[in-house]
Formats: sequence, structure tokens, C-alpha cells
Amino acid sequence: MTIPALKVSGLTKRFRGVTALDSIYLDVARGEVVTLIGPSGCGKSTLLRCLTWLEEPDDGFIEVGGRPFGRAVVGQVVHRQTRREIDALRPKIGLVFQNLNLWPHLSALENVARGPVVVLGRKRAAVEAQARTLLARLGLERQMDKHPHELSGGQRQRVAIARTLAMEPELILFDEPTSALDPELVGEVLGLLREIAATGMTMLVVTHEIGFAGGVADRIAFMDQGRIVETGPARAVLDNPTDPRLRAFLGRVLPSSPRVTA
Amino acid sequence: MSFQFAYLAGLMPNLAVAALVNLRLSAMIIVLALIGGTALTILRSLKIRPVNAIIAVLISFIRGTPLLIQIFLFYYVLPAIGLDLSPTVAGVAAIALNSSIFISETMRGALITIDPGQIEAATALSLPRHLVWAKVILPQLFRRVLPVLVNEATIVVKGTALLSVITVVDVLRTAQQIASASYRPFETLIGAALVFLAINLTISLLGRRVEGRFAVQRA
Amino acid sequence: MAFDPAILVQYWPLFLQGAWLTIQISVQAFLLGYTLGIAVALLGLMPGRLPRLAAASYVEVLRAIPFIIILFVIYYGLPFSGLRLPAPLVGTVALGLFASAYYAEIVRAGILALPRGQFESARAIGMSPLQAMRHIVGPQVARAIVPPSTNMTLTMIKESAVLSSITVPELTYQGLVVQGNTFAPFEVFAAVTLIYWGITLAVAGAAHRLERRLGVAQARSVSRNRLAASYLLLERESAR
Repeated sequence: MTIPALKVSGLTKRFRGVTALDSIYLDVARGEVVTLIGPSGCGKSTLLRCLTWLEEPDDGFIEVGGRPFGRAVVGQVVHRQTRREIDALRPKIGLVFQNLNLWPHLSALENVARGPVVVLGRKRAAVEAQARTLLARLGLERQMDKHPHELSGGQRQRVAIARTLAMEPELILFDEPTSALDPELVGEVLGLLREIAATGMTMLVVTHEIGFAGGVADRIAFMDQGRIVETGPARAVLDNPTDPRLRAFLGRVLPSSPRVTA
Repeated sequence: MSFQFAYLAGLMPNLAVAALVNLRLSAMIIVLALIGGTALTILRSLKIRPVNAIIAVLISFIRGTPLLIQIFLFYYVLPAIGLDLSPTVAGVAAIALNSSIFISETMRGALITIDPGQIEAATALSLPRHLVWAKVILPQLFRRVLPVLVNEATIVVKGTALLSVITVVDVLRTAQQIASASYRPFETLIGAALVFLAINLTISLLGRRVEGRFAVQRA
Repeated sequence: MAFDPAILVQYWPLFLQGAWLTIQISVQAFLLGYTLGIAVALLGLMPGRLPRLAAASYVEVLRAIPFIIILFVIYYGLPFSGLRLPAPLVGTVALGLFASAYYAEIVRAGILALPRGQFESARAIGMSPLQAMRHIVGPQVARAIVPPSTNMTLTMIKESAVLSSITVPELTYQGLVVQGNTFAPFEVFAAVTLIYWGITLAVAGAAHRLERRLGVAQARSVSRNRLAASYLLLERESAR
């Protein structure tokens, strides 16, 4: 049995009495693309934030490629890892934010290069060369020295993805990758995500683009009120949803979302 | 010598009365500065090259030199070229000029935020220039600069304290006079400080109330 | 009335001394004031009601009282605690204290204006909080606070003239001394005024160059229709 890229066990998070995450269990195998769908407020973003320890879960365990992240069991005792230990694993878990959070005072190239130099300690010359290759592969050859405010929404999205890829992650989390875009660009980004998936990257995508879920994802997980209510192979879940809440959700959402054709 | 609160408390009525001088002068200055600043802004909008050039120099001068020096210019230099003003008049004139310039500069920044469509509409309705200003631009302008004006009011009040240096008997000078008689400068000066604290905090609080009612919120 | 430049020629060393002291005091007050200001700003950003209240009170009080009174309170109050310090030192400290309240507000606003996501995205790729501060938060906050800080620094330099009232021999004081000797207010104040003007223009110019180097966005002129421009623009738009 191969080690899953991501293993979430019993993850729980409460905010002021509201349970945002209610004992989440989720495994993502290497190279798998899992889409997380659900109504607003169901906890999708909170889950992603907990997976990079931007929020500290109250309970539960996370394992990245078999290594404990955030919390570890030593002997019989549960420890919270030190800040250093957490920071050391963070590059392995890429997160592309919904509003991208690109660094406006740095050029596109620098946005991508800064992480590997500062965090991974690589030599600048090598890092810059790799960053150039990465940006070129994403279609940004002529945008490398531009600053985020000079780029279009789609270009910024690609810089954000490049920044994450530069850290050589084992898996990438995407928080609503298409919500900030004009409709005509959505297809472009979904195509990009499918290309990344084709390279064998493990991906966990929070999205409301059900078409993407159907077309590219291997598995869909449906969340409602902090729990993963139903999960299974993408097409099966979409064609035959069992849980009534999922059926209701799909009923509301499906008619208007385009399908990403192969 | 230790700090005597009782003495300080006993002083306050005298200082409060002296503070009326500051308040009266501040009110005059603010009115003059509002009129002056508005007039200056309208004049600048006419874009008469030589006039605007002179005004630009004046603005750079007022913003680039200390208020105290400007007060000294009105008090010491004007008499030397024939214009002999009383300390009060000289002081009020100096601070009013200073404030007019800042108000005009503030208005300059706020003018750009006014919707040009309204100007076009007013002109299409055959409104003459002075009415476009009076009915369309100025009402909006004042609402937009209100927060800055409140701040400017506190600056004017603080400026009146400087008039004590040119012998105007305001609260600071009064405090100094009391101090030289009683040899308790610390308490008297703290008293003067408290008076200004009370005045300016009141202005700020009132300002916030009025802003809530009248000022334009940026979308 | 004749303008007699001979007076200026005779007394220019005093003006120069005064100007030099003004500059020295301004630099020292700036360093003191900004350090204090950053400390107060950080205090005001700490969790809990007490630090925020303390910082806010500090700022409100120092901004509501005229600088001349702050100066006098310190200068005349210090002997009470047995401390007798030279006037220039007292003046510098008072000026720095006064400025610190404004700098604190500027720094606080600059930090609060930065979206939290900037810090989070830095941490999410594995930067330590220190690295995130140094590479991502710091540079952006610095850009935001330079223009208002420049403004306040110019204000502080001008406010230094008030130190003349406690006999600090800076520029204004020297002007009053020469005026007392020569009874030539026009020449004296013309010289003093021009020197202050020169100092503030130089500082403003240096600050703008710094802003440009840091990449602070320069205000772009808004193009508008000519009718509205005839009312709303106070200068002719020059072709850039």
C-alpha cells in the first residue's frame, strides 16, 4: 500500500463555538486530483488553511507523504511541532490563494524566485534560471520583469501557480482558482490546471466549477457544514449522488455550469 | 518642590477665561481662512498664468517656512515697510494666511474627485460660472474636505498659542505671567496644556459627529 | 527704506551657526521621534485593550497640545525632579517626543493598510515570520510610510523654530539676536526665511528622490474633459 500524498485524520476546527471542521477524514493518493465542492460556509477554505497550518486545527492529524505535519505523536504523547518543523514542511504543501496574494513590490520573476532562495537556500543564479524556465512554460516569457499590477488576471494567476511550483511541492491546494476571473478566462485556467494534473501533480482543488470536477478530477468530495458528506469517483458522484444534500446542491448548481470537454 | 494638584485646580478658572482669547481668535482665523482658501481656489481655477505662478511661489513659501517666522514677518517686518499692525491683528493675519494656503491645497486635491458629469449638466442648463461654483461645486467640496477642516481647526487653535510670543495675552502668556509671580511654572504650564487638550479634544469629537452627518463617504 | 545687505554680510556666521544647529537638532529629533513612534505604533497593535489605550492616549494628548507648551512643560518642569539639562538637549527631546506621536500614527496606518494575505502567502511557502517581515511586509510598509513621514518631518523642522523661545541658539534665535542688534527686521527675516525655505526644499527634494527609488507610486494626472477641467483643475496640464 503506497503512502498517500496527503492523509487527514479527524481534523477539527472550531471558531467561537461554531464548528467549522467536524472531524474530517480525507486521503489523497499521489498523482490524484481531488475536487472539494460544497455550499458557501461549509468549511472548504478553512480546511485548506488548516492544511498549511495558517489556521491551527483544534484536533486531528495531517500527514504529508507519510510525514506528520503540525502535530506528531511521540511515544504516547501528542506534540505540536515547533514553528521550525512546520515551516520546514510547508514548501511541500503548495497553496494558491483565492486572491493570489502576489507580492506587488516584486517582479513576476522575483515573486517566483524569492521563495527558493530564502526558504530552500538555493543559489540565486540557479533559482533564477529555473524560474525563467517555469514562467516560460506557463506562457509568461515576456512578463517576467513586470510587476503584478501590470499583468492581467489570468497572467497573475499563472505567476501565483509558478510561485508555488517553484518550491517543488508534493501536492498543491487550490482555493477557488477561477472565482476571481472574467468568465472567458475560466476555461484557460481550467486548462492549465488540467495540464498540471497531467504532469502527475497531486492536487486538491476547491471549486464551484462542477464541469472541472467532472472533466479533470479523479475524485470529488462534497462538504457540508464541516463534514465530508460524500466522496467517490468524480463521474459516479455527479451522475448518481446518494446523499440528499449533495443532490440538492447539484440541483442548484449544475444547470448553469459549463462542462470542460476533454 | 512637589507637584500641587490643589494649586493647579485653583488656577483653572483663570486659565479658562484667558482661553477665551484663544477661542475668539481661532474662530476669526478659521472664518478668514475658509473665505480666503475658497477664494484662492476659485482664483487658481481661472488658470491665469502669471497669477498662478505667483500663487505657486506663495504656497511654496508658506509651506516651506515656520509659522512662527510668518508671524514674525507680520509683526516685525510689516511695520518696517510702513504697515503697523497690533500684535493681535498681525498674528491673526499671519495664521489666517497660513491656513488659507493649506485649505486651498486641500481643496485642490478634493476637486479632482468631483464628478465632471455634474459640471457638464450644469453648463448644459446654462448655469453661469459663478453659479456652477456656488450651487454645484462648493457644496460638494465642503462635504469632502470636512474631516481635513476639522483637523485644520485644531492646528489653528494650537497656532494661537504662538501669539503669546508677540505679546498677545492668551492662555499661555497668562500662564507665564502667573508662573513668574508664583514661582510654580510646572503647574501653570500643565494647566495651560490641559486647556488646549480640552479644546482640541472637543473639536475632534464634535468634528466626528458632524462628519457622520454631513461628510461624503468615499465609495 | 533701503535694503542693506551689509548687515547680512557682517552677521552671516551667526545665521550659519543657527542653521547648522537647526539641522543637527532636526536630525536628532527625527531619529529619536521615529524610534519612539515605531515603538508606540507596535504597542498600539498588540492584543488587549490596555496597550491600545495607552498608545492611543499618547498620540491624542501629544497631538492636541501646542508644541510650545509641550516644550515649556518639559523645560520648566525638569528642574523639579532635580535635573538641569542644557536647553538644546531639552529642545531636541521635546521636538522628538512631539513628532513621535505623529510618526506613530503614520506607522500604525501603514502596517494596518497591508492586507494580511501578504504575510500569509509568505508564511505558506515556508518563510519564517522574520523572513516574511524582511522580504514581504517590511518593504511594502516602508513604501507606504515614506510620503506621510516626509510631510511630518518637514513640519517638525519648521516647528524647531519654536525652540528659540527657550534660548536654543538655532536659526530663529540667531535672527532675533541680530534683529535686536541691528533693528533691520527686513534684512534679517528675509535671510532667515530664505534659509528655512532652502532647508525644506532640499529635504523635500531628497525625500522625493528616495520615494522614486523605493518605487512609491507617483500620482498620475487624471485626464478629463476640458469643460470640467476648466473648473476642477487648478493648473494647466503639461504634456508629459
